[in-house]
Amino acid sequence: MRPGDPSEASRLTHFRADLHIHTALSPCGSEEMTPPAIVAVALARGLDLIAICDHNSAGNVKAVQQAAAGRLGVLAGMEISTAEEVHLVGLFPDVAAAEQVSVIIREALFEADDHYYSFFGPQPLLDSDGTVIGTETRTLALATSLQLGDAVRLIKSAGGLAVAAHVDRHSFSVYSQLGFFPMNAAFDAIEISRHLPRQAPILDEYLALGLPITSSSDSHYLEDIGSGCTDLLCVEPTFDELSLAFAGVGGRSVCRA
Amino acid sequence: MRLEELAKALDLTELTPPGAGSEDGDITRGYASDLLSDVLAHAPAGAVLVTLQVHLNVIAVASHAGLRAVIFSCGRTPDDDSIAKAEEEGLRLFRSAADTFDVVGQLHDLGIRGGTAR
Repeated sequence: MRPGDPSEASRLTHFRADLHIHTALSPCGSEEMTPPAIVAVALARGLDLIAICDHNSAGNVKAVQQAAAGRLGVLAGMEISTAEEVHLVGLFPDVAAAEQVSVIIREALFEADDHYYSFFGPQPLLDSDGTVIGTETRTLALATSLQLGDAVRLIKSAGGLAVAAHVDRHSFSVYSQLGFFPMNAAFDAIEISRHLPRQAPILDEYLALGLPITSSSDSHYLEDIGSGCTDLLCVEPTFDELSLAFAGVGGRSVCRA
Repeated sequence: MRLEELAKALDLTELTPPGAGSEDGDITRGYASDLLSDVLAHAPAGAVLVTLQVHLNVIAVASHAGLRAVIFSCGRTPDDDSIAKAEEEGLRLFRSAADTFDVVGQLHDLGIRGGTAR
């Protein structure tokens, strides 16, 4: 059966997705954000799908996928900081695609020194048990040298989806950095933060963009996982189905949960 | 001070075709910021903006705020689309090899002042 087949509508199901979660690899992420702990909390909160989006790295994605062991969907993601200091969530079809982008992003950062680690914190690479197996030595907390348009193109070249992160925030968002929403940037969706009130008047402006709207927790601490959620109406909680939901194919959709 | 005089005094490279701006008259005010939401909210109309931000939205924001010209600091150059858009909007674009601090210092020496209009 192909996507868009009318008989498919009966198979659509609501899934609960939190598509922006950091691990301890993000310097601002809590040390408690280990693969097994993230998976345990996500399962306890009834999530069907999460995306691991550390700052400028996909280094811990595979470990979280292994920790999940098929019990919930774990998408490979990354939160890229562009040269404009706009945060951009890239969601990828698989770990290999995310890691391919991660290599290029690494080159667009600096090598960290002791002062950097003492200010921003450690950047541990973890295995599926949460054991530290290495350290990322690039400056993940800082902006890359990639312009926004180039970063979006990079994500797409790896088959990924580009989401404008936390558009309602007053820092590191497209609105704070660029004043107007950059319609030429070819975003696939925009993300609103868990802090935005449900009836906020600004939501009308976001809806007028005509892009799918996700809601995510942007968790840096375990307690925040699932505090912002997307209701994903599709056939199964996978990257391909999320892509189809963003495109609105066959009755699929995303909205704030 | 007229834009041509400013450009000469600061040794700026003009990126838009010379004389593209429809408006004439003295520039008296300036603003410096890389956060375009801040430019939109606070830059005084008629001002020259100094920024190292080169995204296309600089042109949209400068036009919306009624600015006369943009000086890109640190030798940064916007892409051709941005330059073409600026020309359409009657906005003049310049590039300076100097950093933002020095560009603003030179403008201040020439009598250009800041101050938020809105």
